[in-house]
Amino acid sequence: MAKTILAVDDSGSLRQMVAFSLTAAGYQVVQAVDGQDGLNKARDQVVDLVLTDQNMPNMDGLTLIKSLRGMSSYQKVPILMLTTESSDEMKAKGRAAGANGWLVKPFDPKRLIDVVQKVIG
Amino acid sequence: MQSETIPVEELRQLLAGVSDHGTQHLLEVEADLMQTTYLLSEAIEKLGACFMSVHEAVTAQQQELDLLLQQTQLPAEQQQKLLQYREHIAKEVNTAVTGLQFQDLTSQLIARTIKRVNGLKELLSALATHGDSMDSEQEHQEIARLLQEMNQSLNSRSVELSGGLRKAVDQHHMGSGEIELF
Repeated sequence: MAKTILAVDDSGSLRQMVAFSLTAAGYQVVQAVDGQDGLNKARDQVVDLVLTDQNMPNMDGLTLIKSLRGMSSYQKVPILMLTTESSDEMKAKGRAAGANGWLVKPFDPKRLIDVVQKVIG
Repeated sequence: MQSETIPVEELRQLLAGVSDHGTQHLLEVEADLMQTTYLLSEAIEKLGACFMSVHEAVTAQQQELDLLLQQTQLPAEQQQKLLQYREHIAKEVNTAVTGLQFQDLTSQLIARTIKRVNGLKELLSALATHGDSMDSEQEHQEIARLLQEMNQSLNSRSVELSGGLRKAVDQHHMGSGEIELF
């Protein structure tokens, strides 16, 4: 059975590219338009990996990660940030919130798939 | 004393003029930036859809070729060429996927610029408001105090504006970003 990845980003074109790349590699992708939508979808279905942007309306990526880590079903699910933010300060915040990795946009599909495979197989 | 008198009316007109002209120009800048965002977004959406469609067709074509290759014995040289084409397509698809994401980055930069433009409009509005509170009947010292207050207010608004606009996009090249696993 294909592993499921929750892709959270307020940019439609970015979500489209993430879904395109991961689907081609055999993963199932659930899309969410912001942190709040991501949290709702994560509650509906426990996914194998969360890939989230940081700067989004309604709920940002760091708040989403903290909320997910507060749920027992998401304490061990890998969460990766995919964002334009690249400062050490933001990375440290992401790590403290519970992120397992940090990817700076734009992503290269092959490298993204390599990382995802490394994290969830 | 006459020499200490500030030409309040002229100063007020100057401030109002700077505010009005500046605001008009900034409104134009804002409209152009929003139009740019819209056009960029529409263009990328169409490009993305075309890209997906082309990719789907190429994938189907490759599958058909695979079937044909199973049934037909092609010379090694042609098989090698087909393999090279496949690798070339895969490489270009990766590059296209990376390139199509730059709309997201530019949109963020434009949104940040629009926020700054709005902040500048507020600064100019404050300039005119402060100017209105000046009266030619007021004493020199009172007008000087109002000008100082105006300066402080503009400074604090400017600092506030810069503080609220953290730069989230630092990309200076067209390649993909770094990856770090914790």
